Amino acid sequence: MAFISSGYNPEKPMENRISDIGPRKYDEFLPPVIKKNYGQWLYHEILEPGVLMHKAESGDEVYSVRVGAARLMSVGLIREMCAIADKHCGGHLRFTTRNNVEFMVDSKAKVKPLMDDLKSRKFPGGSLKFPIGGTGASTPNMVHTQGWQHCHTPATDAAGPVKAVMDEVFEYFTSMKLPASVRLALACCLNMCGAVHCSDIAVVGIHRKPPLKDHAVLDQICEIPLAVAACPTAAIRPTKIEIDGKQRNTVAIKDERCMFCGNCYTMCAALPLADAEGDGCAIMVGGKVSNRLSMPKFSKVVVAYVPNEPPRWPSLTKVIKQILEAYAKDARKYERVGEWAERIGWEKFFEVTGLPFTHHLIDDFRDHAYYTWRQSTQFKW
Amino acid sequence: MASVEFKGKSFEIDEDGFLQRFEDWSPEWVDYVKESEGIKELSDEHQKVIEFLQDYYKKNGIAPMVRILSKVTGYKLKHIYELFPSGPGKGACKMAGLPKPTGCV
Repeated sequence: MAFISSGYNPEKPMENRISDIGPRKYDEFLPPVIKKNYGQWLYHEILEPGVLMHKAESGDEVYSVRVGAARLMSVGLIREMCAIADKHCGGHLRFTTRNNVEFMVDSKAKVKPLMDDLKSRKFPGGSLKFPIGGTGASTPNMVHTQGWQHCHTPATDAAGPVKAVMDEVFEYFTSMKLPASVRLALACCLNMCGAVHCSDIAVVGIHRKPPLKDHAVLDQICEIPLAVAACPTAAIRPTKIEIDGKQRNTVAIKDERCMFCGNCYTMCAALPLADAEGDGCAIMVGGKVSNRLSMPKFSKVVVAYVPNEPPRWPSLTKVIKQILEAYAKDARKYERVGEWAERIGWEKFFEVTGLPFTHHLIDDFRDHAYYTWRQSTQFKW
Repeated sequence: MASVEFKGKSFEIDEDGFLQRFEDWSPEWVDYVKESEGIKELSDEHQKVIEFLQDYYKKNGIAPMVRILSKVTGYKLKHIYELFPSGPGKGACKMAGLPKPTGCV
């Protein structure tokens, strides 16, 4: 394609350069009813799954219809959303912090035509473009990362497993029959971009083999001290090696100290460790960020490894469904997954969900591992 | 692996234009890169930054933290950006022949 200049002059890169202007101010894009009643909301109701009504002191009402979105989307799909917003919502819409989309209208009469329109739209493959749901005690969208789409350190994919999981738990997205909201999250490596460490059910990509060492180029493309300092278990040390009769600086890795976090690869491109058979997912449960009833919690590893099985990750989706259904059946109202597991005890959690307990789940990282062991005789057989 | 020819010298570079080997660095390299980094004329201040980065790298095996670069050269970050519009990593380190910065950048 021919080059089309935007007006930028590569000969004078700093000329006419605009910088540090920040994002547009949020109130430029507020629907009129939101702008008018800003800070004066009285109460809200969830009318049905995916539909909220907020009442203002002035008596104004705003109806929000929340729809699921794949997060990774084309300009074509965004244009389609804009067309819907133009048609029903005066050109306004918003994205939630879980990457759902909300269409807002200012009267009840406008809700049904909007919902009918949203429900009628499907991709050629048959999936719903704008499934309505994600409110109340449901499984709203799955917060996720880049995976094999764009990142160089993943141990699993993101978009693929998220689609597989959301297909499996779709009935919980479009209903509100769980004891409390169940937040799902996925991160494709231990960097844990997103919300994996604080979600009710979370998936994180893990490796099971130590890095390969590209000695021939390591000292040229890596800052060796950074690679050494990147290791949480101090498995890496600088060393010298002879290649083709030439002394080279490189690193040595103590494999029995390596737990395959991949942090050294993040810092040093000569230490790749992705592996088709070795890589897979760990599943964590019980995290939350809200302060409601109990304090925020970290999620805890309950399944050390399920293999990567593209394109549908059947083992992964099966385990997640298993946990979700056991929780839905057993937990009390308002109880998040972590609160439920802590109330019944983790040994009961494993019994109820039918998950096997393996030695991998016992914390062995530094001093604080001790506090995760049981210094009590209180347990259930 | 791409390699570029400039003033009779050959440099092996990666896709971001960083030198593949620190030993390949020569003053011609700076001349070659400065254009793409938005630098017309090389001043003493540019030289001072480049020399410090190279000294630090030879001594410590890593690029200095931005705070150290500022403290030793006496140039505030704002001034470093005035010298190297792409910043200390993509601009100055590349011209000094240091390895490409890594991590979540």
